[in-house]
Amino acid sequence: MNRNKQTEILGGIITVIVLILLIFLSNVEVNKLSYLESAASSIINPIQRVFIDLRNKIQGNSAYFSNMETIMQENEELKKKNSELETILREFEMLKAENTTLQEYMNLTDKYSSYQTIPAYVINKDVSNFSSTLILNVGTKDGIRENMTVIADKGLVGHIISVTENTCKVQVIIDSASTVSSSISTTNDSIICKGTLENDQILRASYIPTGAELIQGDSVYTSGIGGIYPKGIVIGTVKEIITTSNITDRYAIVEPAVDFSKIDTVLIINE
Amino acid sequence: MRKILTVLGLIIVFLLIYFFQVNFFSSFTIAGIKPNLFIIYVLFIGLFANQVLGISLGVIFGLIIDFLYGKAIGPSAVMFCVIGYLGSYFDKNFSKENKMTIIFMVAGATFIYELGVYFLNSIILVFEREMLYFIKIVLIETLYNVLLSIILYPIIQKIGYVIDRNFKKNNILTRYF
Repeated sequence: MNRNKQTEILGGIITVIVLILLIFLSNVEVNKLSYLESAASSIINPIQRVFIDLRNKIQGNSAYFSNMETIMQENEELKKKNSELETILREFEMLKAENTTLQEYMNLTDKYSSYQTIPAYVINKDVSNFSSTLILNVGTKDGIRENMTVIADKGLVGHIISVTENTCKVQVIIDSASTVSSSISTTNDSIICKGTLENDQILRASYIPTGAELIQGDSVYTSGIGGIYPKGIVIGTVKEIITTSNITDRYAIVEPAVDFSKIDTVLIINE
Repeated sequence: MRKILTVLGLIIVFLLIYFFQVNFFSSFTIAGIKPNLFIIYVLFIGLFANQVLGISLGVIFGLIIDFLYGKAIGPSAVMFCVIGYLGSYFDKNFSKENKMTIIFMVAGATFIYELGVYFLNSIILVFEREMLYFIKIVLIETLYNVLLSIILYPIIQKIGYVIDRNFKKNNILTRYF
């Protein structure tokens, strides 16, 4: 009986110590623990890559035709090139628009004249229902740093929240903890796009100025305010405007340009 | 020696469950909602092994998940610690033989874990809580977890009693008489 009490007290003390440690850990900056993260990901990710390869092989099982493999390789390269070209095209369009509206600030546009990008593959996705993060196959070795912007062929994906030697973690814009400062293409009104738990294929645009006139189908771009995302990257289009009895409460549903359920290759903007 | 082997075995099973969760259950969903096998696993470690093991393995597994996917380090570790403790608490107070109690244990653990992780994340990362949608997702996830635990329970029970024998030699009979 006495021993039972002792172990109970011991268990209680251990629990308290563990909890205090955890509170401490959760307040420590993630950077300082990156070696632990490195260890965890270097155990898990090589095995995960084997699974991904296996799955890719099963999905592409017609590859036993002898020349299929080369075609697929070529296709892959072309896809990558295509996505790069599309970003360049988009950037060109944006620059053109910017040029006409901001001719007097010609020097400013130089800043975004060219994005240097690093291509990457998605090797893992979040297991939870309440958050969406992606794990990419590039890390500090490839020159990746925290807070870099991640884009895909059609638009914005998210930003990097932590880096290890060989992998990095991306917080996707549809994550419920993500907020992006953005502006509407036609009127240049600034809004805030938030991820929502309601649906993992939409964003909720709130803080719409009372004087702003939103139109269904308007494009939404990043505004560059906030310091993480550069200006002028496509986020999506306005799908629906929900008006409430009070005009300050109204919000819009924005459909992201990127299909996050099928995402497998991304580009990281190297500023 | 036996205890060390059991702990190693439990860690290997964790890795197996991890790959199952990532590669299989990410596409095998109910209305787009994935189950969470880790909750069931940590709960059963708490149930069948002892309190210290349930809590410490819970913290280790939670930290691994936080390192791999988390936006902040800590929430999963804290909540798995709670689930490990909850497992041993259930073990002291309820029977493991009855399917109804198992259903309630898994449902309760899933709900508490997800609620805790969501709240801790919202406090650390400062975002708006959307309780209505949260509850909708949690209910489906709980249902999925309960279904899985009913299907898997015969296997878990067999392995569980092996672990139970290794960790609680003396009090297995006295608890019921």
